[in-house]
Amino acid sequence: MDPTQQKTASHFQETFLKFDIDAIPACAQQMIDSQMGIQDFLDACMPLMETIGKRYESGEYYLPELVAAGEMFKTASAIFNNQIKGDKAVLREKLGKIVLGTPKGDIHNLGKDIFGVLAEANGFEVHDLGIDVPPEKFIEAIEQTQATVLGMSSLLTTAFEHMKDVVNRLEKKGLRQNVFVIIGGGATEQSLVEKLCVDSQTRDAYEGIKLIKNFIQNKKESKPCRKHA
Amino acid sequence: MPETRVKIYPQDSMTAEERLQCVTRLEKPDRVPLSMMLYYYAPLHAGAKMSDYMKNPDVYMSVMKQVWHDLGPWDIYYNINPVSRLVYSYVMMMRILWPGIELPENEMAKIDEIQYMEMEDYDRVLTFPSFISDFKFRAEMLSRFCQDCKGDTTAKVFMKMIPGFLRQIYFWRKDFKWWRKQGVVPQIGFQAEMPFDTFSQARNVINFSMDLFKVPDKIRNCSLKVSDNFAKFSVLTARVMGTPLVQCYCHRTSNSFISPKQFENLAFPSMEIIVNHIVDAGLTPILHCDGDWFKNLKIMRRLPKKKIIIQLDGLTDIFKAKEEIGDHMCIFGDVPAAKLVSGTPDEVEEYCHRLIEEVGKDGGFILAGGCEIPPNAKAENLRAMIRSVVKYGYY
Repeated sequence: MDPTQQKTASHFQETFLKFDIDAIPACAQQMIDSQMGIQDFLDACMPLMETIGKRYESGEYYLPELVAAGEMFKTASAIFNNQIKGDKAVLREKLGKIVLGTPKGDIHNLGKDIFGVLAEANGFEVHDLGIDVPPEKFIEAIEQTQATVLGMSSLLTTAFEHMKDVVNRLEKKGLRQNVFVIIGGGATEQSLVEKLCVDSQTRDAYEGIKLIKNFIQNKKESKPCRKHA
Repeated sequence: MPETRVKIYPQDSMTAEERLQCVTRLEKPDRVPLSMMLYYYAPLHAGAKMSDYMKNPDVYMSVMKQVWHDLGPWDIYYNINPVSRLVYSYVMMMRILWPGIELPENEMAKIDEIQYMEMEDYDRVLTFPSFISDFKFRAEMLSRFCQDCKGDTTAKVFMKMIPGFLRQIYFWRKDFKWWRKQGVVPQIGFQAEMPFDTFSQARNVINFSMDLFKVPDKIRNCSLKVSDNFAKFSVLTARVMGTPLVQCYCHRTSNSFISPKQFENLAFPSMEIIVNHIVDAGLTPILHCDGDWFKNLKIMRRLPKKKIIIQLDGLTDIFKAKEEIGDHMCIFGDVPAAKLVSGTPDEVEEYCHRLIEEVGKDGGFILAGGCEIPPNAKAENLRAMIRSVVKYGYY
């Protein structure tokens, strides 16, 4: 980046961390006007997301900051995606693909949506299947996208059996060992990891992102995936 | 009333009503009281069709009686059967999909988390006359999201609500008579979603999170604007119902949704007005605090002492909450839903025992599930929970 671009990027970062939400589109436009590409934009965003994550972990920030950060990122990246073409539109690879949904029998979308916003802002490609998703749809999506992460979120205990059904279907299809299955939502608790044969559980969207990043890091280092009976 | 002298267990020295009043004052009763919030569990247990149970008050009453005979007794009766969906939507301010209408006959009612309020509505709420501000806001929004009055004018919404409201009151008064004869205290004289939480639901959590940065003052002022009307209507209804408890739902005020600072500056001022009004009227507010409330508890010490019940749903560490606020308000909770579904009776009993020993130490505690008992809870786990107050709960 040249000095003008660096200055523009710094201004964007300051605006972002002040949560001046309405000023974000103009900042994104300034970055485009100064000839920055999508990768430059992402390079400016990644430290921001790290800062926000750290402040959230330390208790300085709460859900509104996480959500606002995700939404500001979405707004700015939409402006970039709409206007940037050619070489400047080339991106480095995404961190990974996540298939996400609320299982059959539950139509709560709150937790899932928050997680989806954060996952995208953290560099993941998210395939959100929506709410009331039948088990077979999760499997189809995993097969089609080749996603290595499956996230299921629910507020109802009645969804547990459907989560288990999805895991069983993954096993039957021989996909289980390649897919990290994480569950979340107010009704879930740690003991379900073993009972439902999933890999992880969380009630905190940001913690979920961290768990997935750890999984991807371990995979890159070729650590074996958990084997399920 | 003479029937409230009925004892739940022969070895009790207090009635359920005396026990509830005693723990609310943070005193030590004869035994830890128990509330079973099993509205959605009951029809599955009794084998009733969910749609009949929710639509037909007679079916509801017979199902609840069957569950009482199969599993009971307990001290506090959690009464939420909505005789009128419109009235239920009015108090909860959520779009509810109903079995037998939008859902198959045997499915549990579901909340459709839609956005129904726009940013401009904050300004409009601020112009409403204070004495009807909460009514007006709720009625206007109902016509946007509730299937039973979609597109209706505010006047028409009220006209439709009046018969539903009267039917609801008539039903509860009749129903409570039976429960009081069993020695049980009804838990809810009036219930409603609190103002701040209603705005969060109405805007949806993503928009509302942005509003907290863009228009915090408007959120605070709108919550304050409707508080007085909310509080007065709560007190009036609870008195008409003859049950001096007001259940105030705070689904979106925990630290899972907002910071303690946002709680203190934006949500607490309206909560304080409402709680004080209810307490001043001689009634007991039950603050239904879903999510993790731990960092809000210090601020809640500004509310009147020994007058309030706080319901925790398993996401707040109830043991730490006892240390933080147990000398200030009565704690209610919190056997986790997942434990009641996938745990064993021994696990449930062990957890209840710990709750009774630690949170129930020196009184000021009501044993209950963390929020609703889930519909697929195991009956043997509920029996373990009920048994635990007899086994460990006597002081």
